[in-house]
Amino acid sequence: MASPPASTRTGPGRLLVAVYALFALSATARAVVQIATEFSHAPVAYVLSAFAAAFYIVATVTLAVGNPAARRIAVLSCSVELAGVLAVGTWSLADKATFPDATVWSGYGSGYGFVPLVLPVFGLLWLRRWRRRA
Amino acid sequence: MSSVNDAVPTTIIVAGLVLAGYALLMTALNRRMGGYLLVALGVLEVLLLVLVGIIVAKLVGGGRPSSLPTLIGYLIAMPLVPLVAGFWGALERSRWGPAVIAVAGLVAAVLMVRLHEIWAVIGV
Repeated sequence: MASPPASTRTGPGRLLVAVYALFALSATARAVVQIATEFSHAPVAYVLSAFAAAFYIVATVTLAVGNPAARRIAVLSCSVELAGVLAVGTWSLADKATFPDATVWSGYGSGYGFVPLVLPVFGLLWLRRWRRRA
Repeated sequence: MSSVNDAVPTTIIVAGLVLAGYALLMTALNRRMGGYLLVALGVLEVLLLVLVGIIVAKLVGGGRPSSLPTLIGYLIAMPLVPLVAGFWGALERSRWGPAVIAVAGLVAAVLMVRLHEIWAVIGV
């Protein structure tokens, strides 16, 4: 049986898509529960959580689809995601009052083993390998 | 009876970590998905289903966690994690298939810790 042609969702991409899917689901679920049940407690933090969840969903779908258009979107998404982790991470450390609860990107993702920090880096490195391919 | 209930989350943590360790070893040794990994994943799935049953029984008995929506999310996620990971990992013909299974093992262990955080009666 011939193996399927390589794409961003095979090889190491298999692991990347799996971790992105995991974060997409858990960040979305967490944001939905937070916004639905206690939004006034930390509105900025929870909106940022929802924002992060959106980027995880985009990364999961574009890496899984894998065609050139999807890859371009993925590069953009992972870049903004990385900027987001760094920005929100710094903000959450500097302004603890706005972040009474941990969110995905608080403390550079320290509540999630710093995976949110390294994930977009690996995403961008993986996508870099596909730069010249059709 | 409560000591049996406490044993299940702890067993899942151990099983999840052992599964993750074994799967990562397969990845490091450049081996693809094999029967042993799937069997180990199946064992984890059974353990998770048992825990879902225990938690549902506690809920029916009137207990409530600090966040019911979160708990329900976990109850839905727990049996799905090994199934989805098994399917996705099995599609992969290289060492990265077992890597996906390792994630499932780690997720199972982390879920046990999170469960205990939202409902201390689920002992670890």
